[in-house]
Amino acid sequence: MIWRWGIFIWIAATMTASLLWAPLVPVLGETTRVLYFHIPAAWVTVLALGWSMIHSALYLWKRDLHHDDHAAAAAELGLLFCIGATVSGSLWAKSMWGSYWNWDPRETSIFFILLLYGAYLALRGSIEEGEKRARLSAVYSIVAFVAVPPLMFIVPRIYATLHPDPIINSTGKVDMDPRIRTGFLFMLVGFTFLYAWLQVLRVRVSRLERRLAS
Amino acid sequence: MDRNWVVLGVSLLVWGLLFAWILRVEKRLNELERR
Repeated sequence: MIWRWGIFIWIAATMTASLLWAPLVPVLGETTRVLYFHIPAAWVTVLALGWSMIHSALYLWKRDLHHDDHAAAAAELGLLFCIGATVSGSLWAKSMWGSYWNWDPRETSIFFILLLYGAYLALRGSIEEGEKRARLSAVYSIVAFVAVPPLMFIVPRIYATLHPDPIINSTGKVDMDPRIRTGFLFMLVGFTFLYAWLQVLRVRVSRLERRLAS
Repeated sequence: MDRNWVVLGVSLLVWGLLFAWILRVEKRLNELERR
């Protein structure tokens, strides 16, 4: 139980420090605060979708449904965090660019990721038989993840975008106030642990569902 | 009032509610697994 409260205090303390101690970025102004939620959510999206791909490959290798549970849970949570990143980014865009959606390369990329993994869940939902669902979903998840790193990291760097520089900018440096960087890195760690906790819970729900079904 | 305090208050409230909800889900899950 203690580590759960550890996650709670970690994230709450980071929020407090980030919002009260760290300064605002001059160019971004008040919208700087979105950074502490938007980027960790995007980070967890990539982490979860990668985890889904790894367990999909493990399922195809070992044919153990435990890996399918992990792959499905990770894809669901990845999609959830991706929606969080999209909504927070869109609120930021309204404030900075005057409109919630502008089809900027970043927005277009994240839209494709939402479509890809929305289709993954639709595929899972359309197949009744467990083994067949696990096999087809595993293949889909591996193929879908091939598109994630280019969409997240390459496309927005190739095309002209209004989006602020990535954390590691084009010169390979982290151009950020040390207080903002500290808050941001602590939030990244907090979100990662939160995701790990949710992942374990979702896998336990899947196992329970299978036990009830049998 | 300083806007940072407002944003912090809302953020902590949302995080607190989310955390309480996850704990509740986990408790229910433990009960179901014991059956």
